Amino acid sequence: MVFAGSYFPVSRGQEPELGYAFALPRLVARLAGRKVRRAEFSRLEAYGVCLLVFGMSNLFVARALLPLLGSLVLQWLVVFLLPFAMWAAFLLLYYLVSLVIAVFRRLGFYRATTNNSFQHIVIMTLTTLLALALVRDECDGVKSLGFLWLGLLALNLLAIAILGMFLKE
Amino acid sequence: MTDSFRWFDRFAVRGVLWRHYLDFGLTNVPFYLRPMTIFFWTIFFFFFAAAARRTIVRNLSVVLPGSSSLLNQARAWLTMYNFAWTISDAADYKLAKTEFAYEVEGEKFLEQLAAARGAILLTAHMGSYDLGAAVFAQRFAREIRMVRAPEADVRTAQHLDQSLERAGAGAVKVAYNTASMALPLELLNAIRGGEIVSIQGDRPVPNASQRTARLFSEVVSLPDGPFMLAIVSGAPIFPLFIVRKSFHRYRIIAREPIWCQRVERDREAIIERAMQTWCQTLEEVIAAHWSQWFSLVPIFP
Repeated sequence: MVFAGSYFPVSRGQEPELGYAFALPRLVARLAGRKVRRAEFSRLEAYGVCLLVFGMSNLFVARALLPLLGSLVLQWLVVFLLPFAMWAAFLLLYYLVSLVIAVFRRLGFYRATTNNSFQHIVIMTLTTLLALALVRDECDGVKSLGFLWLGLLALNLLAIAILGMFLKE
Repeated sequence: MTDSFRWFDRFAVRGVLWRHYLDFGLTNVPFYLRPMTIFFWTIFFFFFAAAARRTIVRNLSVVLPGSSSLLNQARAWLTMYNFAWTISDAADYKLAKTEFAYEVEGEKFLEQLAAARGAILLTAHMGSYDLGAAVFAQRFAREIRMVRAPEADVRTAQHLDQSLERAGAGAVKVAYNTASMALPLELLNAIRGGEIVSIQGDRPVPNASQRTARLFSEVVSLPDGPFMLAIVSGAPIFPLFIVRKSFHRYRIIAREPIWCQRVERDREAIIERAMQTWCQTLEEVIAAHWSQWFSLVPIFP
């Protein structure tokens, strides 16, 4: 079956179409000889980055907050409620950034259909700042999480350069 | 659908506020943060939309007989999580024309549907039927007339109509299933004109024509309008479902068409047989994809 347009359904059992939003997995797939394109089809990419960004934010706040709480019960309560509070904090962040974007749109500095690309830059920048804070932590586990983010970020930037310069994506 | 509007109605579960907020979320939350956002919103709606949750639990107790009620609460959460994803994906397609990957089960039946001159697409409140209709209409360059149950909130209905027509780039037209006599004639004319009419056949709409059938060994009322339309128009009924497979991936399930041709005199027998076939198909698909059956209005006694 052929569908008009850039994508088409495949029959059940056929190899699924590969698509990644980030440059690093696209480069890896291309080096492995796979046909890949820029699309948000990867569950691993979506859930993986989600876990990293949200996990690092929670960890950062928990590391800052927990030493201030004396009681163990209170600490556990905070650990339980923190993800919900962080979710609310993210919602507030999206809203505040959207206000900034609205101003930029009015001034003619931003014209994209959605605000996602601007929000992406803000979130990546904030997460990188958190990672820089985490690499200074005393705990090796926390420190390695910070390094993991910085490493992935550097590799992704390198992949963008390689795909742009040599593989003409 | 009611035109009266109180200021707090917008905050109701089916109020338009949540639809607007969904649009805000999809134009402001990068794709990789949506799993977390949807996860927590599902927890919120699990408690806020208590009536819908109870209906899902009741449906699950019938679809999965002998299942524990505690486990069904967890399954209800999963169903609501899938529902959140599917309405998000449909809105994402409308707002940003985001691509989704599809695989097809029953490819030859889908091709028959695409080639049919006038057909009835019978589906259920499963997976992303809104997204599916829009994508199908665009990819096959076919017009689809989608029959929907009226929304409780008039502003939500307006928002959904606009969304569907925008997503389908004008190829999807929405018609509401009411007691009006004009709709069946309109649908009949559309089929005779070569259009595809999409109807959800897994729950009846008040005041619309329906009859009893057996679904998962329970006696339920289901709409018989699609079958009467099929008899009068001679058009085939194509059972079609679109279920969510994983992140931004869907599976189109097309089943063998049901024919209701008047080769015998007894019209009632033809309709009953066709409804029985439809119920069997529905049972198979729901049993395999119970976490994507979004029938949020009670149908089982």
